[in-house]
Formats: sequence, structure tokens, C-alpha cells
Amino acid sequence: MSDNDKPFFVGYLPTPKALRGLLLAVCVLFISGLSGFGLALGVAQDDPGDGAFRFDYGRQTVTGVVELTPYPLLRVTEGNERIPAGHTLMLAGGGKTNVESRAIPLEGQLAQVSGTMLQRGALDMLQLRGGANGISAAEGEVPQIETVPLGRWKLAGEICDGKCLAGAMRPGRGLAHKACANLCLLGKVPPVFVSTQPVDGSEFLLVTGPNGEHLPEKAYHYVAQFISLEGDVERRGDLLVLRMDPDTLEVLD
Amino acid sequence: MNQAEAILMGLRIWGSIGAVVAAIFLTIGMDRIDEDAREAYIFRPLLIPGILVIWPLVLWRWYLYETGRELWTRRYDPPRKSHYAVGWILPIGICVIIVTGLTLRQTWPVEIAPVRLSAPAEVSQ
Repeated sequence: MSDNDKPFFVGYLPTPKALRGLLLAVCVLFISGLSGFGLALGVAQDDPGDGAFRFDYGRQTVTGVVELTPYPLLRVTEGNERIPAGHTLMLAGGGKTNVESRAIPLEGQLAQVSGTMLQRGALDMLQLRGGANGISAAEGEVPQIETVPLGRWKLAGEICDGKCLAGAMRPGRGLAHKACANLCLLGKVPPVFVSTQPVDGSEFLLVTGPNGEHLPEKAYHYVAQFISLEGDVERRGDLLVLRMDPDTLEVLD
Repeated sequence: MNQAEAILMGLRIWGSIGAVVAAIFLTIGMDRIDEDAREAYIFRPLLIPGILVIWPLVLWRWYLYETGRELWTRRYDPPRKSHYAVGWILPIGICVIIVTGLTLRQTWPVEIAPVRLSAPAEVSQ
């Protein structure tokens, strides 16, 4: 049964007198409520920091020795003003991809790499250009490179994917952050452990399996959570590598 | 295969089936069940993303039209009947999810310092 006296709101008709107060109240509450909600969500987020693609540096080209951890590294021997000799660069492909197929044939050899730098403080990574433009064999004598063991450590922190952390994305929290990181890690983008406090001067450590393999399957469940873990740490140039022991993974409260 | 890879593979399979359904439905099925859409093609690519996601519903609706079991008068009955409940559940649920997510957040354990458990071995390579 319809009630002809009951006011009814129709958007394209004049607002019934009896509904004007309600309409005004709803508009004010809706706009102020959404604004406040948006502000609260924004304020609750962590500061994303200054990590970013450094397109302002232009294309970076350096030469060095290719090392596999198994994640590809370049121990820079001929650097430039941004990437000095002696630096150890982590290498990644475009998007959530790796460059292992191109780096494996060059393991232990001199190679020239070219690409775009990502940088967050002391952490950086090079996103290589496609094909041989990104990495190719270079002429010259291969210098001796050292790996210095630093012993077994117990660390607290978070496993992230190194590329997003270095600046490809704004680091986040929670499920979306975990899903994004795991997709990168499935693409064999180098994983990085962020330590709560510096280990031998560095708070970022490349993570591998206990025997120098890719990130163990078990670790995917702990990515993007605050955890503690144990593992052997070694220094490769100015980069620390953590050979994590997956049996020691624990989520912190 | 770990859980993340399984989820990714599941999504790929779901999307691949959706692509096949979209290809067949947009080239053959639409003309069969919607006379207003015949000889109209420009809008059809716009439907591809939606079909990739809800292809089972597309197939079900297509089946109903093809078999003449579609009763247009009852088309919106179920959603209408649940509007009131959903109207409350949705905003309350969103608020609960956000508040729970913010409440259950971990705290960055800055006070836990790295501990060396054993001395380093020799230099390698």
C-alpha cells in the first residue's frame, strides 16, 4: 500500500520540504565522515621513506664480476660516480622478474651491466635493461673476490623483496604487502632481510637458503612479518648475505 | 609447489578459462541471447575484464537464456530481499575488518639486537 503523503526523495526533482533537514545532515556527515576516515587511514600508515627508482641518475653502466648466491650479484670493479668500484650490486629484471638466465652463463666472469638504479639509503639494486643490453661479457682479467664469513647470528626483523624495498614500491604492512612481496620472491627477485639493528654496519642483508639456494619455501609464510631467525652471515664486498636456517623462524609478538 | 604458487596458478587457470569463455560469449553467445547487441561490437572488449572474473555466472546466465528458463520478473528478487541485511553487514563488516587489522598489527621489534651465536669460520674463495 502506498502512502501519497509520505515525502519521497527523487534526485532530479525538488527536495520535499520534510526531507531537506535530513538531506543536509546526511550530506554533511557523509562528506566529513569520509574525509575524517581517509585522514585517519592516511595517518595510520608508516612513513614510506625515500626509496625510489632513481631515474634522475640516468642509465647506469658499470663493470664487475658476476656472482650467484644464487641471486645474481655484481661485484663492481669499474664503477662510476654513483656506483663506486668495490660496491656489490643486487640485480633484477623488469617488474617481478629476475635475470638469472642471463647471469648464470657469466658466473665468475667479468660483465658489463646497464640499467636503472633503485635506492633506499644504503640499499640499492640495479634493474637491468633487456637482453644483452642489460648484461654482457666484458674483456679483462677477473680479479680475486673474497667472501668473508661473519659467523652465525640470531636476528630480528622482516624478510622483504629487495626490489620493492629498494624503491620499486612503497613498503607497506599486512596482507597486501605480503602478497606483493611473495609474488616478487616467486619471480626470484633477491629477498632482503631488514634487521632491527645493524649487523656489522648494515641493516639490510640479502637472504638465501641455508646452503646457498633460493629462499626456502617455508620462509614464504614468514615474509612481511616481524620475525626472528638464525643463520650464517657472510660479507660479499659491501653486501651482507644471510644464509637463513628455516627451522629457526619465529613470528614475534 | 607452495601455497603462493598454488594461488597464482589457480588465478591463472581461472583467468584462462575466463578468456576462452569471453572469446566464445562475445563472438557467438551474445548475439544469440541479446538481440539488442547484434551488430554492435565496439562495447564488447569492455566486457572482457568482467567476464574473466565472473565467467561461471556468465555461463549460467547464458544457459538460462538459451534454454528459456530465464524469468526476467524474478531476476532481481534475491538481491532485493537481502538489500536491508547487506546494507548493514557491508559497512559494519568493513569497519570491523579495518579496526581488527589495525589492532592486530605487529610492533617493529627495535629493541631486539642482533646476537652473534658463533664465531666466523675462515675466509673462502
